[in-house]
Amino acid sequence: MVKIESSTALLLDDRGTVTVAELVEQSGLSEDELSVLVDCGALEPRERGGASRRFSARCVVTARTARRLRDDFALDDTHAVAILLRLMQRIEALERELRRTR
Amino acid sequence: MKYKDYYATLGVARDASEDEIKKAYRKLARKYHPDVSKETDAEEKFKEVSEAYETLRDKEKRAAYDNLGSHAPGEQFQPPPGWERSFGEQPSGGGGSFSFDDVDLADLFAGLRGRARSGARRPEMKIPGQDFEAAVRISFDQAYKGTEVEFDMSVAEPDENGVLRRVPRKVRVRIPKGVTGGQKLRVPGKGGKGINGGRDGDLYLDIDVESHPLYRAEGLDLYMDLPLAPWEAVLGASVEVPTPAGRVTLKVPPGTQAGQKLRLSGRGLERPDGTSGHLYAVAQIAVPTVVDERQRALYGELRDATAFNPRAHMV
Repeated sequence: MVKIESSTALLLDDRGTVTVAELVEQSGLSEDELSVLVDCGALEPRERGGASRRFSARCVVTARTARRLRDDFALDDTHAVAILLRLMQRIEALERELRRTR
Repeated sequence: MKYKDYYATLGVARDASEDEIKKAYRKLARKYHPDVSKETDAEEKFKEVSEAYETLRDKEKRAAYDNLGSHAPGEQFQPPPGWERSFGEQPSGGGGSFSFDDVDLADLFAGLRGRARSGARRPEMKIPGQDFEAAVRISFDQAYKGTEVEFDMSVAEPDENGVLRRVPRKVRVRIPKGVTGGQKLRVPGKGGKGINGGRDGDLYLDIDVESHPLYRAEGLDLYMDLPLAPWEAVLGASVEVPTPAGRVTLKVPPGTQAGQKLRLSGRGLERPDGTSGHLYAVAQIAVPTVVDERQRALYGELRDATAFNPRAHMV
């Protein structure tokens, strides 16, 4: 008999926030890689201020996508990952717009 | 344990350099990655290619893999004596009952993360559990009210010897109300088990909400088309409309245009924290396709009695 484990799912949206350390842990990216994504505009901190800065919980999804792109395509350059991410975000925004106007 | 030929999967020679392995992987990733591939079995192929690369890109894992020798793909084999002492956890209890029979090669190498360092064991190194991802399709009503979903999983967990073995697991997850399609949820600690005190991985859920015949969600807001008769749009009306929480009366103001959005405040999706969206009824002017003689005459009278020109801006 397999025991059932119960748990509640947490929404990864703009209402929750995560610290840099939590973002590192949950995304699998290093702090340096996250900084590059912030510099390139792919990630936007909700509160600036070095190590104490916080990100929207939605950034976990963005950062995990960046990690997946980095790993899946064996990309060495975080700048390239950031550009890819920005392009993916544009595609997603256009797809949302397309769905809305249909 | 079944043998997998990782070199053949990547299409490289057994003595290929790191660069050659990476180059071969990148080429196959571009071909089979589910985000970019049009191949029918892309996802399965990509999994095989990733598994091979994950082992061969890492010097220690590659050395451990090479040490297993070369076998035919799918062939049952046992690692050479002492292999587990050099590269994996040392079996306890004298090793008399230890067996690799039901161990998957991918799990075995995943379990080697951080353990094999020039043949020396590093049992003190904390290794976080693997994160899992799952797609969940729920109905609109389930998204509106919240729901529970169950997952039957087969996960790799370390046995008493520290070797990863597949075990069945059932997880019931409460999905909060107010989720929308495309959203991602995190279930902390429900991924793979951590090793040596490493944190357990998380389970990530990709939410897909089935389309509803009436409502379209845009964030927490809902939209529905509201067909109105021409006289309702011109004169205004009180019409009964459905909402996910039950039917309500909506006041349509006189002169309502097609496409105009009439807001039903707070009637959209609602989150557990109490924040909620609105329901927008988008006016559409519906005309009768069949009219009798009297109605035709009345429409004619209306035409003659009005100077209204809906195409005045086009003149």
